[in-house]
Amino acid sequence: MRNHASKMLLLAGILLSFIVSQFQSQINPYFLQIIIYIGINIILATSLNLINGYAGQFSLGHAGFMALGGYTGAVVSTTLGASAGAGSGLIILPLALILGGIVAALAGLLVGIPSLRLRGDYLAITTLGFGEIIRVVIQNLEFLGGARGFTGIPKLTNFFWVFSVVSITVFVVTNLVNSSYGKGFLAVRDDEIAAQAMGINTTKYKVIAFVTGAFFAGIAGGLYAHFVSYINPQQFSFIRSIEIVVMVIVGGMGNTPGVIIAATLLTILPEALRPIAEYRMVIYSLSLVIIMITRPQGLFGRELSVKSLLRRLRKQAMPV
Amino acid sequence: MKTTAGNILELRACGINFGGLTAVSALEVGIGRHDLLGMIGPNGAGKTTVFNMITGVYQPTKGSVLFDGRNIVGLKPYQIAGLGIGRTFQNIRLFPSLTVYENIQVSFVKTLRHGFSHSTLQLPRFHEEERAVRASIVELLEIFNLTQVMNERATSLPYGDQRRTEIVRALATRPQLLLLDEPAAGMNATEKVELMRLIRLVKERFDIAILLIEHDMKVVMGICERIIVLDYGIKIAEGSPEAIRNNPSVIEAYLGEQAA
Repeated sequence: MRNHASKMLLLAGILLSFIVSQFQSQINPYFLQIIIYIGINIILATSLNLINGYAGQFSLGHAGFMALGGYTGAVVSTTLGASAGAGSGLIILPLALILGGIVAALAGLLVGIPSLRLRGDYLAITTLGFGEIIRVVIQNLEFLGGARGFTGIPKLTNFFWVFSVVSITVFVVTNLVNSSYGKGFLAVRDDEIAAQAMGINTTKYKVIAFVTGAFFAGIAGGLYAHFVSYINPQQFSFIRSIEIVVMVIVGGMGNTPGVIIAATLLTILPEALRPIAEYRMVIYSLSLVIIMITRPQGLFGRELSVKSLLRRLRKQAMPV
Repeated sequence: MKTTAGNILELRACGINFGGLTAVSALEVGIGRHDLLGMIGPNGAGKTTVFNMITGVYQPTKGSVLFDGRNIVGLKPYQIAGLGIGRTFQNIRLFPSLTVYENIQVSFVKTLRHGFSHSTLQLPRFHEEERAVRASIVELLEIFNLTQVMNERATSLPYGDQRRTEIVRALATRPQLLLLDEPAAGMNATEKVELMRLIRLVKERFDIAILLIEHDMKVVMGICERIIVLDYGIKIAEGSPEAIRNNPSVIEAYLGEQAA
């Protein structure tokens, strides 16, 4: 039974997404939009957390991967001539998402191999540059709509698709880092020299983290494109990358539950602050500053897991 | 090229220059499959450089390094570790955010038969292998008395336990040759006695070759069967502890010409 716990959770997640999606029409469209954005941000933050948090490679190019996935998905679904019907969405959307993910993953491989010889700040700058290159290239491609943007993408994304992908992303990342195989990512983050001395091919691990992270960012981009039905290059600027990085840092690098909570809070916060209009971004930024001063390790640090909580409880129960 | 019968590692005319500085020159070392070889020398004699040449951190500029009959010069550190050379570091390098258990788990990564897809999808054989890994780790922890602390963060352990964990982590890679870089550094007298017992235990239980760099004469003389002395990157003596103790050039290297 224990062996199947994570698979059961995955199934439960998908099933729950399906059930809730049946009531989608009854949800206030404004709330639904926020909920969908929360889901997309969770996918982005969880996948970036694999690169930045678990493998310790500071990437600032996540919006670039997202753009690749979004545009690829948009091209796929518009070429196949999908109408917004539920029947066609069942085949065309997954196809568009997966192809978008694959293109993003290939880009991740392409950028990953040369730039992973760099460390820390240098890697961050390189990935930032890469994200911007993608944006500028798209801006100049006429068949993608250039700076005017890509219009007429069928609105196929719904609650079910977003939260099924959320479940899958969390499932993959969690299983990966909890397995013996995945301990390689943590070793690379903690001490590369020691990791190599234990027989770990550090470059391979970094590339795997990059490719996997990029794949899910591409899928998130596809979901986004098929939700808003209009995308333009400005939506994928480096500001977007930084928003995702902030979610990872606030949630706690290498802490998937923490990052999920942070992605949720940081999506809701700007919306919740709408009534105070012009002070909105001031308060948003100020709360980030306060969080970083008081909780530099992130709201939840690295220690938010059921296992560590149980361990702490057990320790308290045992008199020393 | 073949290694001399019975030798697991041979350095042949090995040397390395850093710019104009010769750190190690024309070094000849042979280690038998069951040897416990000590390497001593004053500060800056090139001991750690020798380790780094063997493990691929530095590439020797001259000569060759034969491991199990194969020249390993030019291989990457992780490939050399994969062939069966385990090491510890002069300044302990445990993975700071991992527990003792996870630190040792990292050493099993290189021998896993099931990788990315099995781990993410949790296919049946994945669980089988995870169980085997777990059993091996638990066994190692028991042998070395670390079961009590296996869920503690490795860097929160007392110094002696950290050293022990690092040695166990190196052993978990199933090496044929274990390189220990100054394991007694920073230890008090009791911890040193404990360390000597530990190294003997490793020798008996695992029957592997060990190359030990050490400053502490008591430790080296106490457990090594054979000792090599380096000074300014050159081997100045080799022999039994008794012979080394009375070797005039060794005494000169350590205490100056007057003393010899």
